[in-house]
Amino acid sequence: MSGPYRIDGGAIDRGRSLAFRFDGRSLSGHPGDTLASALLANGVRLVGRSFKYHRPRGVFAAGSEEPNALVELRGGAWREPNTRATVAELFDGLEAFSQNYRGSLRRDLLAVNDLLAPFLSAGFYYKTFMWPKSFWEKVYEPVIRASAGLGRLSGEADPDSYDKGFLHCDLLIIGAGPAGLAAALAAGRSGARVILADEDFVMGGRLNAETHEVNGRSGADWAAEAVRELASMDRVRLLLRTAVTGAYDHGIYGALERRTDHLAAADGKPRQVLWRIYSKRTILAAGATERPIAFGGNDRPGVMLAGAVRAYANRFAVGAGRRVGVFTNNDDGWRTAVDLARKGVEVAAVIDARDCEPVAEVPGARALMGGRVTATRGRHGLKEVTLATGERIALDCLAVSGGWNPNVHLTCHHGGRPVWHDGIAAFVPGDRLPVGMTVAGAAGGAFNAAGTLTGGHGAAVEALDELGFSVAAGDPPGASDEATDVAPFWHVGESRGRAWLDLQNDVTVKDVEQAHREGFRSVEHLKRYTTLGMATDQGKTANVGALAIMAGQTGRSIAETGTTMFRPPYTPVPIAAFAGRSRGRDFRPTRLTPSHDWAAERGAVFVEAGAWLRAQWFPRPGETHWRQSVDREVLQTRGSVGICDVTTLGKIDIQGRDAAEFLNRIYANGFAKLAVGKVRYGLMLREDGIAYDDGTTARLGENHFIMTTTTVNAVLVFRNMEFARQCLWPGLDVHLISVTEQWAQFAVAGPNSRALLRKIVDPEHDISNEAFPFMACGEVGVCGGTPARLFRISFSGELAYEVAVPARYGEALMAALMAAGEEFGAVAYGTEALGVMRIEKGHAAANELNGQTTARMLGMQRMVSKNKDCIGNVLSERPEMNREDGLELTGFRPVDRSEELPSGAHFLATGAEAATENDEGWMTSVAWSPELGHSIGLGFIRNGHTRIGETVRAWDGLRGRDVAVEIVSAHFLDPDGERLRG
Amino acid sequence: MAESPLRARPALDGYNRSIGAVALAEVSGLALVSAAAPQGGDEAFAAALAGGLGAERPATGDSSAGDKFGARVLGMQPDQMFILFEPPDPDRPAETVSAALGGAAYVTDQTDSWAMLRVAGAGVRNALERICMLDLDDAAFPEGRVARTVMEHLAVIVLRDGADSFLLMSPRSSARSFLHAVELSVANLSQ
Repeated sequence: MSGPYRIDGGAIDRGRSLAFRFDGRSLSGHPGDTLASALLANGVRLVGRSFKYHRPRGVFAAGSEEPNALVELRGGAWREPNTRATVAELFDGLEAFSQNYRGSLRRDLLAVNDLLAPFLSAGFYYKTFMWPKSFWEKVYEPVIRASAGLGRLSGEADPDSYDKGFLHCDLLIIGAGPAGLAAALAAGRSGARVILADEDFVMGGRLNAETHEVNGRSGADWAAEAVRELASMDRVRLLLRTAVTGAYDHGIYGALERRTDHLAAADGKPRQVLWRIYSKRTILAAGATERPIAFGGNDRPGVMLAGAVRAYANRFAVGAGRRVGVFTNNDDGWRTAVDLARKGVEVAAVIDARDCEPVAEVPGARALMGGRVTATRGRHGLKEVTLATGERIALDCLAVSGGWNPNVHLTCHHGGRPVWHDGIAAFVPGDRLPVGMTVAGAAGGAFNAAGTLTGGHGAAVEALDELGFSVAAGDPPGASDEATDVAPFWHVGESRGRAWLDLQNDVTVKDVEQAHREGFRSVEHLKRYTTLGMATDQGKTANVGALAIMAGQTGRSIAETGTTMFRPPYTPVPIAAFAGRSRGRDFRPTRLTPSHDWAAERGAVFVEAGAWLRAQWFPRPGETHWRQSVDREVLQTRGSVGICDVTTLGKIDIQGRDAAEFLNRIYANGFAKLAVGKVRYGLMLREDGIAYDDGTTARLGENHFIMTTTTVNAVLVFRNMEFARQCLWPGLDVHLISVTEQWAQFAVAGPNSRALLRKIVDPEHDISNEAFPFMACGEVGVCGGTPARLFRISFSGELAYEVAVPARYGEALMAALMAAGEEFGAVAYGTEALGVMRIEKGHAAANELNGQTTARMLGMQRMVSKNKDCIGNVLSERPEMNREDGLELTGFRPVDRSEELPSGAHFLATGAEAATENDEGWMTSVAWSPELGHSIGLGFIRNGHTRIGETVRAWDGLRGRDVAVEIVSAHFLDPDGERLRG
Repeated sequence: MAESPLRARPALDGYNRSIGAVALAEVSGLALVSAAAPQGGDEAFAAALAGGLGAERPATGDSSAGDKFGARVLGMQPDQMFILFEPPDPDRPAETVSAALGGAAYVTDQTDSWAMLRVAGAGVRNALERICMLDLDDAAFPEGRVARTVMEHLAVIVLRDGADSFLLMSPRSSARSFLHAVELSVANLSQ
């Protein structure tokens, strides 16, 4: 038998031993143990130090509500702090460490805080570290941070993997205790699709911790049998180790499944899965949490919740003490005494705060009715309690029950407030539940086994009926109807020493009283001021007791005082689980162009453009600076021919009898009269008249157009056009479909581009200047019959084409183009060279179309046709957007040609102070022009076109630059467009 | 028609792998063409589908089998079908559909827009649970159902083409990311 505190019975597998270590000490337990039960079995009572005062603390509860027993699990990069020992399933080789101390756990140097407690009361930080102000960042905060924080993070990247998923069901049942199991059986037998989720690693809930009988057998056996039946049903899914942590809209719930936390190693599988569960109906059968009574020294290791002591005895075969006392205000507390006595654990006394007859006969125990515990003793664990009568009783465990609180948390996630129920002296769910949710069992305030079973069954029958199932649920399981009377009792007034309310945050009764004295009347303020109910346990054992104290202070009832708002998550969810697999390289998808591998093999440097990776430039051996590569690409393209993958541009296939009319309304400029076989540049305005995208559209047939958009706006333009088609002009016959992915498209630019393409385009297609002039388009064959589209358009300002083939041929076409271009010294060029050439040519791009730009600013006001209606036409007429002294796009060059222009610089008149009121515009794009041999820029400046030749300053306060620049035409090269028409 | 001298590269390079009981394989060789009904042309479109492909016009979210070209017509949106078929001329699938439908629809080649990945085998739905928010249960998504959805930020068309088989289509440019997402989902579930 492992551990001196093991007793008979329980649901542990005594046939196998599990070795584990706690603070380096080798111990053993059994399958079925939690770390907490195994520690208790081994007599380890001191398991950690409290958050603020570094008080010795032990295991307090037996479930996820545990406030005290926070430990670090595992080692190295796997180290996980602040884990509740009560939900950590024991496995062979588990390594656990206590936390929050300096020196050793037993001799914690920071326990000095406890001596300073009179100075560390509620609001301590707010009051103490106010002055001198400058000390906060440099002195106070580092010191506070160093001494706070409970456990330690590993400081390394989390080596585990996480995943997410989506589940669907008719009925989600949260909690597999008696109510949840009864509901699941009823629903499963009726053929409904059921998800039954429970945070524990064994289903059955309190049935495993109690000695109830269900249908004439032990509750635990009945639960096991019910689980077996459910597991055999195809439509029922059992989610063990799964906490449903949040209720979201439309019956959607969040749940965390801990898949490998109970194993020594995850073996490459996701450690945890965060589920999104879509349910038609939900039954919340989350049970109830016991609450303590506040009395002097009630935080000492050995003072535990009565229901937890019972769970350790009945389920885990552990006596939490050798000589146990019970302090209760309700009938349920007596069950602990009865069960322990039955198991042979000595029960010294049952101290019941009520003046009533003893509830049960407990062999060997004194019944002290009307009794109250006022103080405890024992340095690292309980040795003795003192009663209000002055009597002292030697105990090493005091099981405390102040009643039970229904776990209403998920009922409040949509803003519902729980309501006070006098009969059970606890909050129960209010009327405003998340849609589709009903509450059954102890979560709804039914505290006996019979009530939970019939409640769960009934809730399922009702839900199934609503969903239209023919219910084949049979009768609910039967159970004994045990007594659950309770008389509210929160705090022993005669207490000596501090009486703790929130063990995790070290909040005492006195703190709550002080907060009230200092004017904090709202529970929400109380929470923030005292830190009550914060951190991993979210005050599950603390909140209601504190409310009661607060209510007592204000003279209001608890119902009037109300609760703080419960928000998701119900139990802690690691950030890693929220991230799931979206980390590192897989943070988001990557889009690759058809020539990506080709470019990568040639050492291309890539740049992100949205989700795309585009080749930025192609370094060649000997090139040590990116500018060398870019300059070469530009010069070679302008000197001969260059090839660039432009597949990323958005492409939209537009067809329909009214396609031309549709485009006429979408674009600011006219498209109705565009001839078949021609391409036109188009500018799109937003409704407010601001230019937002541009591109070219080709007319492939009378009713067939192909539009290109900018890379970044591809989706936006498509979406806006779908909106226009479906909502603005549903009468037009026009259809849209994206073909961005369908076509691989390459720009072939430079004086030798035609010569190159003559080797690629099949000879039956005449691409001479006469047959295929500037702005021509057509369907052609390339490389001996591969279908292709050819467009004679130019972004670079050179004689240029774009050629498109189905994407599967894209990589081969890139290679074919480069091979055909070898005799011309063709280069592949990237987005940098593309950018240089478009700036040299004065073409606007995203830097210019920044959401503030009008057609007039771009010098395109004449394109906004007044002979037709189009999106943005009307609002583009607004006076402010048509000021004579408005901003206009022009070119800029440094007066001293050796200077580099600063992008983003603002224009100021010579001698003007750098102030907002003197601002004349800004530089949008700059580049080094290898053709001109100096820096060039584009920018918006007031009245630009009338100021050509004028000198102003490009002032950049960020980089500390102030450069004299000359205003010039935006068309640095070939202003008359002779090259592209050649 | 002469064989094109440009080498076609499948979106997933012909990927084919089994992980546990689930087989993942790129589907290549099928053509995909969108067909949109002109306004007021619904009846003619339905008649053309029946006459030209031997297929009923499916409701949005459903699909129907045709008796020509091994075609399956996918109902993508109220006025738009996708036709998945074995093209007699792989380089001109839109022309094939256009001819079959006698001009009753606006057609656009989508073959290269979508990488096609078939995932099949016992447990395939458990794997897809990790990335697909749609309910793929028999009752909600029987064989022949089709839907557009999003998986790991990527657009996906899901066609259930067997009891334990799904054809997934996702944009070609992000096909490798998509494949990784599906592969990982299967691997995470396999024993």
